[in-house]
Amino acid sequence: MNDIKDTEARVNITYGGKNGDLPDPVMFQAGDGDIKAWVTEAVRNGGVPGLDVAPNADFSDFVIDRFTATEVRPYHLIAVRPKTPFGLAA
Amino acid sequence: MIEAGVVVDKSGNPLHWHLPEGRTAGSLPDSRTLWEVLWDAFKADTLLGFAHSHPGSGVPGPSYSDVTTFAAVEAALGKRLDWWISSSDHVILLRWGVPDKYQETPNPYFFSYRATIVTEAPSWVAELRRLSQQGQGQ
Repeated sequence: MNDIKDTEARVNITYGGKNGDLPDPVMFQAGDGDIKAWVTEAVRNGGVPGLDVAPNADFSDFVIDRFTATEVRPYHLIAVRPKTPFGLAA
Repeated sequence: MIEAGVVVDKSGNPLHWHLPEGRTAGSLPDSRTLWEVLWDAFKADTLLGFAHSHPGSGVPGPSYSDVTTFAAVEAALGKRLDWWISSSDHVILLRWGVPDKYQETPNPYFFSYRATIVTEAPSWVAELRRLSQQGQGQ
């Protein structure tokens, strides 16, 4: 895993019942659309250690959570997880 | 009337009452907390599904937001779940189930979850309906 600069973040993805990180950090302020595109490409091509290859992976209904660095975790973290609204919520 | 939810375990018992801030008569907002509960229950192999309430009476039906959430959560878990929706007098159960020929349609979600009317109300339904009568989110 590359060193993570203050302007960067590790990207953690949950998919297919497993959890893994993108091999390379991304800019912490990268847009949600860009992050979803990178994650989709990586998961479809088997580029995320810990996740199974998923050629039809679709992250359009996933959300991006951003967590700043802490004493315990000295780097920013971006978590990619499924959305959970119900009813009329978008 | 205000929407409420409950995570249900494999024994049919409530694991977590979902009463998020910002819930309304027509919606439950996105919630990282709910996702963490679902993920933890999945890892513990105790997760059966999730139920939420709809306002009013009659046979409820899922919204577009409902079915896209069902599909996203199941994709993340790699596991199909049971999804219930309760009105004041009916409960339906939705499960993934579709002929293969529908899975390549442009919008497969509405073809993919089949509803059945639950004739024997699960044990948690009375409490879900009671919580749905409360006016404040928690």
